[in-house]
Amino acid sequence: MNPDLTVNIGRLTMQNPVMPASGCFGYGEEYAPFFDLSRLGAIVVKGTTAEPCSGNHPVRLAETPAGLLNAIGLQNPGVKAAREKIRELAHCGVPVIVNVAGHSAEDYLRVIDFLEEEEEAAAYEVNISCPNVSAGGMAFGTEPCVVESLVGNLRRSTKKTLIVKLSPNVTDITEIARAAESAGADAVSLINTLLGMAIDTATRRPVLANITGGLSGPAIKPVALRMVWQVSSAVKIPVIGMGGITGARDALEFLLAGASAVAIGAANFTNPMVCPETVDGIADYLSENGFESVSRIVGLAKESLRPVTGGVCGCGKK
Amino acid sequence: MPQMKVMYIKEHTLVAPDIRRMVLDDSIYARPGQFVQISVSPTLDPFLRRPLSVHDDGEGGLVLLYRASGRGTRLLAEKKPGDSVDILGPLGNGFPVTDAPAAILVAGGIGVAPLCYLARTLCEAGKQVIFLFGAQKADQLYIPKAITPFLTVLETATDDGSAGHHGPVTEVLEQFLQKGAVPVYGCGPEGMLRAMVRVAAQYYAQTYVSLEARMACGVGACLGCVVETFQNSGEAYQRVCVDGPVFSGEEVFR
Repeated sequence: MNPDLTVNIGRLTMQNPVMPASGCFGYGEEYAPFFDLSRLGAIVVKGTTAEPCSGNHPVRLAETPAGLLNAIGLQNPGVKAAREKIRELAHCGVPVIVNVAGHSAEDYLRVIDFLEEEEEAAAYEVNISCPNVSAGGMAFGTEPCVVESLVGNLRRSTKKTLIVKLSPNVTDITEIARAAESAGADAVSLINTLLGMAIDTATRRPVLANITGGLSGPAIKPVALRMVWQVSSAVKIPVIGMGGITGARDALEFLLAGASAVAIGAANFTNPMVCPETVDGIADYLSENGFESVSRIVGLAKESLRPVTGGVCGCGKK
Repeated sequence: MPQMKVMYIKEHTLVAPDIRRMVLDDSIYARPGQFVQISVSPTLDPFLRRPLSVHDDGEGGLVLLYRASGRGTRLLAEKKPGDSVDILGPLGNGFPVTDAPAAILVAGGIGVAPLCYLARTLCEAGKQVIFLFGAQKADQLYIPKAITPFLTVLETATDDGSAGHHGPVTEVLEQFLQKGAVPVYGCGPEGMLRAMVRVAAQYYAQTYVSLEARMACGVGACLGCVVETFQNSGEAYQRVCVDGPVFSGEEVFR
């Protein structure tokens, strides 16, 4: 029997736990030549702002060991133009999650107000974690009280599923996750990119025009996995895990760590088929190991651990 | 429509210092000026594919001409005939073909790669092809012998004077434009392209430039490879991978 891959995130029902991550899949049209988009669990579209945003000056990319730095700077056509693309994309029959970005609390509200009556926008992912814009973005995602206030405002403005995307560039990501949960978020997604940089030794200047950028790709997977593990223990709402996933085996690690669903980002660039291949790989794993549903393996890696009593910490102190 | 294809290497030869020609066993039906994203390693590092322009395509298979200059292309250079490569393509817009009876093609260094395919296509469409090829020195002036029958004129220029005109290839371009303004197609270093557009503008000749950029997806999704363009509506970023790689000269250089 085929395993049940269905996942529920807030009011959203997804046929499987795999979605492309925001910013890595455009508005879907770019990948439609490669596979039937209806095979996805959901599609998360590009970070969308109230007004069109031209983004950062090039150079915007730098390849790093097993990874990629980017500083796109939220380039997008603005919510009005994005709405048309979202309507078009929704024809593929899977839920479209709109990543909402802004430079002020009001900006986020404007995007949500504009899309609230649009059936095609099934859910929002609130981007409080973009490292590449000078105002807003990550600035909203690093203080628990700011997160609580912003998410609370958005919660009061929407009946749709509200997902909060968290930044890894914080001291304690569980604090931020708890703030989002207590403000009424339906789920948290993590991680956004890690702040990094690269220098060109020939020109002796930073490679990126923005100087710093966000690191993604396989290089960040262990960090992302650790944070998913921690956050899924700290909150009761579902966690969407992402960061360096390149196939089913990586996705399964995130599910076992406590993620209810996964998003795939930079790997789409190297393998346009990575999302459907990951769906198939997860289904095969569940069948081969006798699990009747994907929900059975969420957080399973934690159950295998014995409760630790007393114990000695790494520094040798009791 | 781009597709992902595993192909096998039929030939892989060093044709000039650091420059290799790779012949594959299958075609992607690319137009001149389009490119492919080629996977250089089956592992996760280096992570990204490498964008390489189509040097030729058709029944004989896809042909790539590239310079091994960075980590990715040096890994690619190690591949042997019989090895497989993963190709994503054809990508990008390609060179437009105009009604003009002749065209001038200006190649700088490895920028020769896409212009050879364009030269063949233009010649087969009955047009005269004036091919101007500039490089730092003579040993970098690689042009496949199979291409020369398609060229009405082939002129070379080198920075050190070791072959052809001693000086920038754009000085040779000016001599030809004085005889008549025809569309000018260019691929090469930014400085050469900029000079080419400036010289052509003096003779009211239309220019098309093929650009290079750091690229991730190659299909227009990531917005990483953008170039600043100047249009009637003002400045805007356009994607080299899908809006380009070919732009009209005045759109990107002014």
